Amino acid sequence: MAAAAAPMTIKMKACCGYGGIKAMEIRWATRKENSNEVSTKLKQRIPIFISTNPSHINPQELRDLYGSCNHSCHRFPKMDKMGKLVDPVDIKRLTIALSHSDLLVSVFCNKEDVLASDDDDCGNEREPSKGENPPVLGLGDLLQRVVPLPVVSPSTGMLVGFGRAVSDHGLTASIFDVMVIPSLRGMGIGKMIVKRIIRILTGRDIYDIAALCSANERLFFKACGFGDDIMGSTTMMYTRTLSTHIEGDQMVKCAGRKLLIVPPLSLSSQSLKNAKSSSMKQSGGPSVKRVWT
Amino acid sequence: MLTLNVVALPSILPIFSAQPCNHQFNYLLANTGRRKLKVTRPRANFWDSIRSGFLKDNSTQVVESPSTLQEEEEPQPEEFVLVEKTEEDGVVEQIIFSSGGDVDIYDLQTLCDKVGWPRRPLSKLATALKNSYMVATLHSIQKSPGSEGNEQKKLIGMARATSDHAFNATIWDVLVDPSYQGQGLGKTLVEKLIRALLQRDIGNITLFADSQVVEFYQNLGFEPDPEGIKGMFWYPKY
Repeated sequence: MAAAAAPMTIKMKACCGYGGIKAMEIRWATRKENSNEVSTKLKQRIPIFISTNPSHINPQELRDLYGSCNHSCHRFPKMDKMGKLVDPVDIKRLTIALSHSDLLVSVFCNKEDVLASDDDDCGNEREPSKGENPPVLGLGDLLQRVVPLPVVSPSTGMLVGFGRAVSDHGLTASIFDVMVIPSLRGMGIGKMIVKRIIRILTGRDIYDIAALCSANERLFFKACGFGDDIMGSTTMMYTRTLSTHIEGDQMVKCAGRKLLIVPPLSLSSQSLKNAKSSSMKQSGGPSVKRVWT
Repeated sequence: MLTLNVVALPSILPIFSAQPCNHQFNYLLANTGRRKLKVTRPRANFWDSIRSGFLKDNSTQVVESPSTLQEEEEPQPEEFVLVEKTEEDGVVEQIIFSSGGDVDIYDLQTLCDKVGWPRRPLSKLATALKNSYMVATLHSIQKSPGSEGNEQKKLIGMARATSDHAFNATIWDVLVDPSYQGQGLGKTLVEKLIRALLQRDIGNITLFADSQVVEFYQNLGFEPDPEGIKGMFWYPKY
């Protein structure tokens, strides 16, 4: 099925030396009591499989998860009028990003525990998920009906949650791309992912952990124990584009919907002028040679 | 001794040798950009050893499919003279830009002290530099006139960036010696980082600026909280 051998699986061995922290385990995700009518059709408690083993991740499945969550790797992605992403994640670049992330967390659950709910399906009367089981039942499925064990595995389950962190292994780390499919939100899965990331990073003695949040992600990270920088720093991103800064011939790079200007190679005359004025106050004046163009 | 000698550049090694130089070398290196330098970067990063293939046998490819996963090279280290000044007494000062990451960790600590930053554990600092995507430095080299000019080499600026090599990058630790500030050197360091990142199509370039330097970064093209994006930090609750 989805997790069958794909040509682009990440071939990486997991390092299980996390000092006692399990690299993968089965947990329960519980939905809070909700007055919403839809919740009666969704399961209240489902088993999930949380893993930090990179080899459990199938890049194509991950790319589909990005799509289901309407999440882009670009901070300023191209969107249509409905706010939906136009381009799917570039799978080659995603694989590179994954291989250079120091921590990958993936969450799986059984397919029948997931209601295939897209935004446009809201409000439709749906049969309970049990009725949508695939006709072929594997041993795991049979076992689950006879003995209600929490049997979930990456190979039979569906990727429903993800998160990753990039670090310099010494001082800082940044968390990116935390996501859970819409139908399973509100069950603590996202929080579980972030908590796992933090536990592993602090276990490696990294306590300076940052997460770049859009306005609607802020509440989530706040609930995970994140806050504004106590040192009062300002978050800034490079956004110099053709529209904001016109200056003759420019090399630009596409980043989502923004065309970022690449800083030119030559030294600005401004910096040279300052160099001259701040030099030694000798009568002849020193000579400043501009050697780099 | 915690000296970081992560880059072995045989052709310009004399610049960074510990012994005083007795020869006149041509330090003016043309920035060809495509320069092939023999770089040995002893990365202890676990993923690297897996990515580049098996430790002993480099001919084996880790990835099954040959057409995919063109592992992009690390940014090529560059090194060149940025500014050269000749004083009236004949002393020549050169400011050398380098992206090779060759930083003496004690020099860096001295520089951090000069700008008033709190001290950080040296081993962590060294590890962080080693695992950064790019470390850009500025050194000042002062040569007295005369054939046995004793060289004074000083670290006067640094900036580094971490990245996932594909989408995101964060710039950390940008600093310039106070006596060299106001010359556009900090601007050069940051612009160099941005250039290197954008050339690799890494488009999300972020940094966390202290209030006094927000304007400095705005002049370089950075926007505070663009579209409401803010950085949040984890605080343990005991």
